[in-house]
Amino acid sequence: MSEPIIRAEHLAKTFISKERKKGAKKKKAVEALKDVSLDIYDGEFFGLLGPNGAGKTTLIKCLTTLLIPTSGDAWVNGHSVLRDEDEVRASIGCMLMGERGLYWKLTGRENLNYFGALYHIPKGVRAKRINDLSSLLELGDFFDRTVETYSSGQKMILAFAKSLLNDAPILILDEPTVTMDVPTARKLRALVKDLHRQGKTILYTTHLMHEAEELCQRVGIIDHGEIIALGTAAELKASMDRQDVVEIEGIFPGHVVEDVRALAGVTDVAVKAEGNGRSKLAISSSNSRVMLPRLIETIVRNGSTIEYVKPQEVTLEDVFMAKTGRSLAVDTAQTGKQEVRGGGGRG
Amino acid sequence: MAVAVSRGFGLGRPGWRANADIVKTVIVSRLKIVSRYKGMLVMEALLPIMFAGFPLLLGFAIGGANAAQNFQKNTGTTADYKLYMLIGSCVFMVVTLMMWLIGYWVRREQETGTLESMYLAPAKRFYVLAGVTTYAFIRSMMIFVIALFLGSLAFGVNPLSGNVLLAFGFISVGFLPLWGIGFLFGAFILKIKEANSVIQLVQWVVAFLMGIYYPITFFPGWMQYVAASFPPTILNDGIRSSLLNIGNLFGGGWWVPFALLLAFSLILPLLGYEIFLQTERRLRRTEGVGQY
Repeated sequence: MSEPIIRAEHLAKTFISKERKKGAKKKKAVEALKDVSLDIYDGEFFGLLGPNGAGKTTLIKCLTTLLIPTSGDAWVNGHSVLRDEDEVRASIGCMLMGERGLYWKLTGRENLNYFGALYHIPKGVRAKRINDLSSLLELGDFFDRTVETYSSGQKMILAFAKSLLNDAPILILDEPTVTMDVPTARKLRALVKDLHRQGKTILYTTHLMHEAEELCQRVGIIDHGEIIALGTAAELKASMDRQDVVEIEGIFPGHVVEDVRALAGVTDVAVKAEGNGRSKLAISSSNSRVMLPRLIETIVRNGSTIEYVKPQEVTLEDVFMAKTGRSLAVDTAQTGKQEVRGGGGRG
Repeated sequence: MAVAVSRGFGLGRPGWRANADIVKTVIVSRLKIVSRYKGMLVMEALLPIMFAGFPLLLGFAIGGANAAQNFQKNTGTTADYKLYMLIGSCVFMVVTLMMWLIGYWVRREQETGTLESMYLAPAKRFYVLAGVTTYAFIRSMMIFVIALFLGSLAFGVNPLSGNVLLAFGFISVGFLPLWGIGFLFGAFILKIKEANSVIQLVQWVVAFLMGIYYPITFFPGWMQYVAASFPPTILNDGIRSSLLNIGNLFGGGWWVPFALLLAFSLILPLLGYEIFLQTERRLRRTEGVGQY
């Protein structure tokens, strides 16, 4: 990762909404984005996390030229979103609206052909590209049926295929696995990882923390229109004022606890007797992954028997909750339905 | 500034071939969509016959056997009042379908999310709009031909006795101002996010101004000027005067309404497109084009 391929500088977006109270209309300014500055590097897999209404969709819409920011600017693949809109659009493959954005009376193939023309892909190249995508995404079974007959998951896969049509260097995926069944979501994640390995820059929003942890090299958490945390998952977890805990159960000679306590990085060891000479140690440390080999070595060297080891790490969900005061999964489940109706939420 | 990585398709400037491909693909896709709604075209083709049928029967009920002579005497046009009204109804169908299809297209694309999908692509809106308006014109001309054929059989008139070639010339030139009006109408629907009530209102205003059942010389003086400066009125008058071999509204030869339509052809598409772009830009500054 060297140069930023996406750069946002002091992006702000204010919406004017109308409130109706007791028959009277009142205008209200809603700051959806507040002075957001962000770099995403060429070849990076970047995750954008945030509860509904946090500003992620607004940020993505500004980066994809669907919205003009109130102030600030952003550059995508070297092109300004304010001045070089067509070049920005040509640089991005997008999946923003889930299964929306498809023509239901056209087949999957006809949809891809239509959007391929809008991306200026020459007819011959387009036909080959569509066939390649059909093979890659295994669209064969339903590809030549009209979209109205598709399941939600099939529509999502087609929408994903649409985002790959122009083979753009940047792929922006907004909750791509949201209505997919588990095997299809797993397949899509594998494909996205593969595309990333091939050199594509990926901007990915999700409310599934395991997805973010599995896929993203860096993560940004956005809330109330501001980026409130930015870094690798490990950096974000390390920024938490909370210790990792590793539970180790087994049979431990008396001096083991003192030896473990003496290890640099260990802040606390709690011992709980489990019966039959077995005990459970709850070892707190700043980074359990780094500490684990040394812990095991120390315990085994002293003639202990280990029955199981269970690390309890700080997760991205913990980071998210600490930063926003909300659980991402719960927040999305409660308000997610609102985004479907209304042309996409402003979140 | 972010680094430029040149990969993928579409980063180069598109040539005329790519732009023509957009227009063609949009037309073909729209025609495929409409063909998958069974019977729609035939049902639409019956509408102008109904439009013409009402005044014809009313006229016959009032004028009786002298209806044709009365019509010619009162309007100073032709005794073939059946064909006069049938042509007016068919041209009205073309005009209203052009507006209805554009308005409905914008609204439907907003609702289904395909408008945002379109805005995510680098294609110039002009070519997409050109494709949609051309599709609308092709569809409305299919209705025009079917309705004129069936209507002629139903009312026992012959639309081919006049100057068909000239009528075709009027249609070819009149298509471009209708493009422009389609763009303007699309911009309006994009802004107000409501198509049905506007279409309902506008189509009756258009029907009134176009003079589908009567010559606009029936209007008070100022209203005649308003109606005569409306391209659909000139188109209607041009086609009617060609097919019925009667004089046109402007008193001169055929070239007078033809030249007026040509002038509108140069102005209205550009004006309509510019207003569409301005509306779109204003929306992207406020709420986004996909908000509905």
